[in-house]
Amino acid sequence: MRTSATLWSIALLVYMFLYIPLAVVVLFSFNNSELNAQWVGFTTRWYTVLLEDSDMLAAAGNSLLIATMSSVFSTLLGTMAGIAMHEYKFRLLPALVLAPVAMPEILLGIALLLFFRQVLDLTLGFWSILIAHMTFSLGAVAMIVQSRLTGMDKNVVEAARDLGANPWQAFRYVMLPLIMPAVTAGFLVAFTLSIDDFVITFFNAGVSIKTLPLQIYSMIKVAVTPEVNAVSTLLMAVTLTLIALASRIVPDAIHKFRTD
Amino acid sequence: MISLTLRFIFFLLMLAYGCETAFAKDTLYLYNWNNYIADETIQRFEVRCACRIKQSYYSDNEEMLAKVEAGAVGYDILVPTGNTVETLIRQAALKPLDKTKLPHLANMKPAFLNAWYDPGNVYSVPYAYSITLIGYNINKLRALDLPTDSWALIFEPKYLQKLKGRVTVLNSQKELMSAAMKYLGYSIQDRDMRKWEQAKALILRAKPYWAAFSNNTYIKDLAIGNIWVAHGYSNDMFRAREDARSAGRPFSISYFTPKEGAVLAVDNMVLHRSGQQTALAHRFIDFMLEGENSASLSNMIGAGNPNQDAMSLIQPEIARDPNIFPTAELLKNLEMIRDFEPRERRILGRMWIEIKVR
Amino acid sequence: MRGQRKWGASYMNNPIVSKKKWHKQARIDRITQWIVSVPPHLFLVFFLVLPACIMVLASLRYPGEFGGLAPLWKTPGIHGVAGLTLENYRFVLGDLVFVEILLKSAWIAFITTLLCLVLAYPLALLIAHRPKRQRELMVLFVILPFACNFLIRIYAWIIILGPFNLLYSPFAVIIGMVYVHLPLMVLPLYTNLEKHDPLLLDAARDLGAHAWQRFWHLTFPLSLSGIFAGSALVFIPALGMFAVPELLGGTGDIMIGNLIKEQFLESRDWPFGATLSLLLTVTVLAVAQFSARFTQRELT
Repeated sequence: MRTSATLWSIALLVYMFLYIPLAVVVLFSFNNSELNAQWVGFTTRWYTVLLEDSDMLAAAGNSLLIATMSSVFSTLLGTMAGIAMHEYKFRLLPALVLAPVAMPEILLGIALLLFFRQVLDLTLGFWSILIAHMTFSLGAVAMIVQSRLTGMDKNVVEAARDLGANPWQAFRYVMLPLIMPAVTAGFLVAFTLSIDDFVITFFNAGVSIKTLPLQIYSMIKVAVTPEVNAVSTLLMAVTLTLIALASRIVPDAIHKFRTD
Repeated sequence: MISLTLRFIFFLLMLAYGCETAFAKDTLYLYNWNNYIADETIQRFEVRCACRIKQSYYSDNEEMLAKVEAGAVGYDILVPTGNTVETLIRQAALKPLDKTKLPHLANMKPAFLNAWYDPGNVYSVPYAYSITLIGYNINKLRALDLPTDSWALIFEPKYLQKLKGRVTVLNSQKELMSAAMKYLGYSIQDRDMRKWEQAKALILRAKPYWAAFSNNTYIKDLAIGNIWVAHGYSNDMFRAREDARSAGRPFSISYFTPKEGAVLAVDNMVLHRSGQQTALAHRFIDFMLEGENSASLSNMIGAGNPNQDAMSLIQPEIARDPNIFPTAELLKNLEMIRDFEPRERRILGRMWIEIKVR
Repeated sequence: MRGQRKWGASYMNNPIVSKKKWHKQARIDRITQWIVSVPPHLFLVFFLVLPACIMVLASLRYPGEFGGLAPLWKTPGIHGVAGLTLENYRFVLGDLVFVEILLKSAWIAFITTLLCLVLAYPLALLIAHRPKRQRELMVLFVILPFACNFLIRIYAWIIILGPFNLLYSPFAVIIGMVYVHLPLMVLPLYTNLEKHDPLLLDAARDLGAHAWQRFWHLTFPLSLSGIFAGSALVFIPALGMFAVPELLGGTGDIMIGNLIKEQFLESRDWPFGATLSLLLTVTVLAVAQFSARFTQRELT
């Protein structure tokens, strides 16, 4: 089908719109100026500053730790929820699962803040952030797992039960391999959501613990040296690598389990 | 899966780094204002005590109170302003000071001891003080022929017209409304809510000309030249001036205390009850009470200094700056913010909401 | 049918298996059902439903003396107010300015959605008609900016707009909002457009329709559900946004998200913040209901 030049030019403009700001960020990470308002000269010193910035590294470590734990737990719970929604057709569960995903983040962040402080009297910190992240990740994983289950052939599992497998065996040897791509995708989505989350973490982090987005936020508000650009560039590079790996893993996983 | 392994390796590296630094030495947790202590001073203390200082920052007393109320654990030292010290004392959130560990307390100027918020200095020791004033771009204001002595600069439309989109004010109910009260000629301790309503009206009238409410971005904006007039703290303006100078900008920054009067903020070091390093905290406080270290506060960040011993070590240019070390004459015009009763605070809080939304 | 055993159903019709074994299987199935459903239910009820209830309760209380919430009942030694009150609702509903700011936020979110739609549609249309390899690559390039942290994408615009003196303005806010949400509009549109049958368009062309007619009478109506999905994905988060207006906006660009955030983290008037949050929740639910009904009508 012939596609018009107008479509192509608009598309090109949109891509430029998306990428020029990012290019500016990367470029200015090499700017030899502390105030970073105009281009002064080329330097890589901000990257050295970044690697020596213990606050930033601690924040990165926190983000990684929380993201890993959050994705593990929410993948577990989310897979359970996805299976439950598919098998047992609850009326309440889909609403509960979708709500955190569909609401503006600020609402969830505040509801959790109120809950942690008023009911649990919990000091905001690691656990409050972890639980908050799990709450919204759970829904994403559940949705992904459930949609994969709807496309799956039911008879396979029933056949396994007929042959004498108990539910656990049926799950472990039949269902799980079939939904594995969805579980993996869910894990990756949960991980990305968690590591990038700003709003919900903002309300539930307390003072002592900082995640990477929170650290960046405080830097943007106060000290806008090119170090912020440097950390942005590095983050983009890391996430790009992860996405590239993920986009190869998921099709690979599907391929692997289909041929098994 | 490769990416998972990579991630775990990275995570372990982070953990290792974190452990290495955390368990190497004792760590003192300091929750302080932005730009309120020089890096050099921190390093000097870290060398002297063979410990680490971990800092967190806030740009507003309310922000600090909110975060601490939400359950901050492990903060050894906070640096609240007088009225906030009073609030913290009433909340029973502070540990009393052990004066025997603070020999250099004798350096304090008598005028700053026994303040209304902490008689007898049971919980607090004065750290530094600042005046909330107006910083401006000298070249721009001269070109526009605007006054540089009064709050009118940020409240009167006839001046604001020339400055549209180039003025920022503090994002603080107490500071901004107090400035308006001073301009109107009222005391900021006045309990008559109708006067505060007038202040609110004054602010709403000027608000369309202001660029933004800003607690800290104004330092950079002034120094770059995006903003020409900013309502802010004296030490922040000092820094903006120095930044512009060292960056070789084609303009200069200056600041003035408006003739109608302004807010004086005395910030104090206090011990939060959740702090773990009481002995180390006392050492730090005593360290900051030494003339030399206290002087570096003034020399490096332009903070007003309540320490008598430090005066001789402060650069003359700074010591003579009436906006940092106000004369007795100017002091008469300065007031410290005091918290009102909850009922009045709620009324003022609602007024602030109106200021934000209208 | 709720709770019906799926896995053991064949046993009912199997003459070989004894009744005893069948009942044992049924019991195992029921236990499995419990094991699988209870943990997620529990977690969500505890960390979603309860917090929501707390928020409703909080909106009915007085602000605490030092921030937070005032106690629910008066205890000796606590001076100040306690108990429940409708004061917050009176304050919010009594003054139109809050509905105004909600409407203004909705307006900004609407403009954002519209602009995202206008920018995303041509791109999605283009991608949908490309061969498979190119399609996947182009979609990847649309998602890639998401690889960049949300705050950094906003920060990019601070750098760009600053020198041009466009910062702290409604223009800056809209640009920031559109930039942050654009990929979210492209994906549902593209997913929908990809499924359109090209033969339909060929048939229309054969019948004499030119490009615009083909688009307006065929493509556009068929893509409505994609448009609604994308719009919901942009409008609802945009409504609650506060980071973009805070970093890029001026004194008059405050949105309801900023107001709510301020109540909790700066002014410490939690009851009022909770009331505003509920106002926002009601609006979002209304929008969700409206769009759901619209999409359903479209699909039938």
